[in-house]
Amino acid sequence: MDLVTVTGLSKRYGGIVALSDATFSARAGEVHALLGENGAGKSTFIQILSGAVQHDAGAIMVDGRDYRPANPDGAQARGIAAVFQELSLIPDLTVEQNIWFRREPLTPLRTVRRAELRRRTLALLEKYDFPPLRPDQELRRLTLAERQIVEIAKGLAKEPRILILDEATSALPAREAEWLLKLTRQLAAEGRLVIFISHRMAEVRAIADRLTIFRNGRTVAAHEAGAVSDEEIVTQMIGRHLDRLYPERVATATDRIALKVTGLSSGSRLSGVDFALREGEVLGVGGLQGHGQRELFQALFGATRASGRLELWGKPASIGNPRQALTGRDGIALVPEDRRGQGLLLTKSVRENLTLSVIGRFSRRGFLSRQKEAELVREMVGFLRIKADTPEQAAGTLSGGNQQKVIFGKMLLTEARVLLLYDPTRGVDVGTKGEIFQLMRDLAAKGYAILFHSSDMPELVHVADRVLVMRNGRVAATLEGERISEAEILRAAMLQREAA
Amino acid sequence: MSIAERPVEDKMSKPGSDWRGRLLDRAPFLVACLMLALIVGIYGSLQSGVFSLDELNLDTAAAMTLMLAATGQTIVLLRGGIDLSIGGMISLGTVIAATRFTDDPATVALWVLVILGLGLVIGALNGLLISLLKLQPFLVTLATWSILNGAAMMILPTDGGSVPGWWVGFASAQLLGLTSPVWMLLALLVFWAWFRATRVGIAIQATGSNEKSAFLSGVSITRVNVVTYGLSGLFAAGAALYLTTQTGAGSPTIGKDYILPSVAAAVIGGVSLFGGRGHLAGTLIGAFVLTLIGNLVFVMHVSSYWQPVASGVILLLSVLASSVAEKAARGRVQ
Repeated sequence: MDLVTVTGLSKRYGGIVALSDATFSARAGEVHALLGENGAGKSTFIQILSGAVQHDAGAIMVDGRDYRPANPDGAQARGIAAVFQELSLIPDLTVEQNIWFRREPLTPLRTVRRAELRRRTLALLEKYDFPPLRPDQELRRLTLAERQIVEIAKGLAKEPRILILDEATSALPAREAEWLLKLTRQLAAEGRLVIFISHRMAEVRAIADRLTIFRNGRTVAAHEAGAVSDEEIVTQMIGRHLDRLYPERVATATDRIALKVTGLSSGSRLSGVDFALREGEVLGVGGLQGHGQRELFQALFGATRASGRLELWGKPASIGNPRQALTGRDGIALVPEDRRGQGLLLTKSVRENLTLSVIGRFSRRGFLSRQKEAELVREMVGFLRIKADTPEQAAGTLSGGNQQKVIFGKMLLTEARVLLLYDPTRGVDVGTKGEIFQLMRDLAAKGYAILFHSSDMPELVHVADRVLVMRNGRVAATLEGERISEAEILRAAMLQREAA
Repeated sequence: MSIAERPVEDKMSKPGSDWRGRLLDRAPFLVACLMLALIVGIYGSLQSGVFSLDELNLDTAAAMTLMLAATGQTIVLLRGGIDLSIGGMISLGTVIAATRFTDDPATVALWVLVILGLGLVIGALNGLLISLLKLQPFLVTLATWSILNGAAMMILPTDGGSVPGWWVGFASAQLLGLTSPVWMLLALLVFWAWFRATRVGIAIQATGSNEKSAFLSGVSITRVNVVTYGLSGLFAAGAALYLTTQTGAGSPTIGKDYILPSVAAAVIGGVSLFGGRGHLAGTLIGAFVLTLIGNLVFVMHVSSYWQPVASGVILLLSVLASSVAEKAARGRVQ
C-alpha cells in the first residue's frame, strides 16, 4: 500500500497558481525524486507536506488517514520531517540546540538538560555516520555546507517515517554529498520514505526508485526510475509552449561591443564571469535559480560590491553605485526585479515617475520647464502604450504590466543604451508580456544593448539572440542560434558534473 | 531584495578550537566590564569609601529601577523588538501605588498584585497587537506608551500622593549586610540563568535570531510576542513599584526617564539591537555604568548636564566596540 497518496492538490498565492490538481503517490522504503523547472510547483508541494503552508483544495492521505497539518508541528506528529532548502536553523543557537530545538530534554525545573542534550547529539551523529561537527559551536560560525548538514541532523533527530530532502546536496562538497546519497539509500532500506529533490540528474539516477515530474504547478508524469530516459525526463519537464507570444527574432547585433565584462566576482556567489554584450543584441542570462544571476545584475548596476573589469562602449568603467551607473548616454539602466519596492513610487504620478531620474534635463537655473517635461512624457506614454487615463494618474493604480512599462520609460529617458532587464515580465499579464518582448526587439533594432534575465526559460529561448547559462556563479555555457533551447539550457545547468 | 537565495559555498571548516571567535563574541560584554572597572576606578580615586559594601548597597539601590526596566527591555531586545511602553507603565504604576496604597499591608499587597497584573496584561496586549496587526513594535509600543501616559495623568495630574513609611523602608532592609536591592540584583541573575535555559527562553532568543527559521521549526510567533512583551510589562510594573520605595510618591511623567536608558543599558552590556544575542549580566553592568556616571559627574564638581553627555559618549563607544567585534567575527567566518 502507498504510504502517501495525494489527489487534486491545489494552492494559490493571490492570483498566482502555484500548484494545481497535483497527484502523487509514494511507498514506504523508496527514494522518490521530484523533478521540475524552477517554479514548477515542487517547493509548494513539499511546503504543504511539511506543514509550512496549507493547501486550498485536494486531499493528502498518509497511512490511509487524512492529513492536513496546520503547522510544522502537525507534520512532525505524523512522522513527516523536512530538510528545507531555505534552512530552518537559528544562527545564534549552537549545533546541538538547533538539532533538538523545541524538543530539548528537560530537568524538573523545566530547563534544558545539557548533558543529555550532548549525549543525544553525539549518539545521533554517530548513528548516521555524520561528517565531523562540533555540537557546542554556534551555527553562525559554520559554513553553508555544515549548516546544511546540521539541518539534515535536525530532520533525522525527529526519527521521521517520511523525510523530505529539498536540494540538500547542492550546498555540499563532493564527499559529503556522497555521504548523503548513501544515507538516503540507508534510510529507505530501513523502511522510510525519502522524498528527494535535486537538480542533478546523476544523483537522481543514482538513488531514486521512482520519480514524479512537475510542470507549471501540475504533476505531469510519474515513472519507475529504470523505465525512463534522461531525454524523456527533460522533455516532460519542459512540455510544449505556445510560441505566439514571441516576436520574430531579427538579428540586429553589430560588431560593436557595448559592455565587456571580465572576471566579475562578488562574494561567494559570483566567481569570475566573462562575457561581451554587443550593440543591438539581446543577451539572455539563464540557468537554475540561485546560481549568480541576481548577483550579476546587482554587480553590474553597482548595487553590490564586486571586483573585475568592465568596459562600456570600449572605455574602461568603474561602476560604483546606481546613480553613477545611470548617468548619461554611456550609462547602464536597470529594470529591477521588485518593481513595487525598487523601481516605482506608487503614490506618485506616471509623469513624476517617468522624469524622476532625469529632472535636471527640464530645469534651467533651478526652474522646471513644465512644457518640455510634458512633451517628453506624452511621447513616452505614446511610444510605450502605457494605459493611463492621464499622465497624472498615480502609478500604483496601474496594472502590473503598465507599471512595468512606466519603469521601461523611466529607464529609456535616462538615455542609457545598455539596459539590464531582470525578470521584466514577472507578474505581467500575457498580452503585455508580448508587448514587452516586442519593445525589447525594437530597442535592440535601435542599437540598444540588452542583458535579459527571466525566471521563465521559454522567454530566454524565444527572445534572446544568445543565452549565457550560469552555474555556480560562472558562465557554464554560451548558447547561440540553433543551440538555444530549453533542453540545452537545462543540460548546461544540470547535467554536467560539477567540479568538487 | 530577498536574502533567502543561497550562496554556492561548499566548504567544510577545519577542525580545531575557535577560542578567538568566542572571545570576539564576548567582546561587547568585556568592554562593558572594562568600562565599569574604569569608572569605578576613577570614582574611587576621587572619593573615599567607594570600595565598600555600603557603596554597593547605595549604588544598587539607585540603579535598581533602571535594572528592572532594563531586564524587561533585554528580553524584548533578545526577541528582536523594542518596548517604549515601559515608560507609560512605570508612570502608571507609581501613580496607582501613590493613590491607592494605605497603611494596611493587605491593601498594599492587593494593589501590588493589581499593578503587576496590569503590567503583564498590557505587555501581553502589546505582543498581541504586534502579531495580529503585523505592526512595528516601535509604533505599537509608542502608542501604548502615550495611552498609558494619559491614563497616569488622569489618575494623578501632578507629582504627589504617598506610600506608607514601611513600604519606603523596604529598600534599606538588610540581610547579611546586603540591602534588599542587592538581593534583588542576585535574584534577577538567578531568574535569568533559569529563564535562558527554558524552552520559552530559547524560543524567544531563536525568534529574535531568525524569525522565519523559528517559524519553520514550529515556533508560534504570536505566543513568543505575547510572552516577551508580557514579561517586559511585568518588569516595568516591578520597576514602578520599586521606584515608589525611592521617591515615596507617584509621578505621571517619571517613566519616560527610563525608556531610552533601559535600551542604552542593554546595548552597553552587549545586547544586540537586532535580536538573538545578549545576556542580562551585561545589561546590569550597563545599568551600573549609567548610574555611576551620575555619581562621577557629582564628585567631579562639574555641571550635572555633563551626565547625559557622558552617557551618550559611552553608548557610542559600546556600539562601536560591538560593531568592530561583529565585523572581525564576520571577517573570520568568510
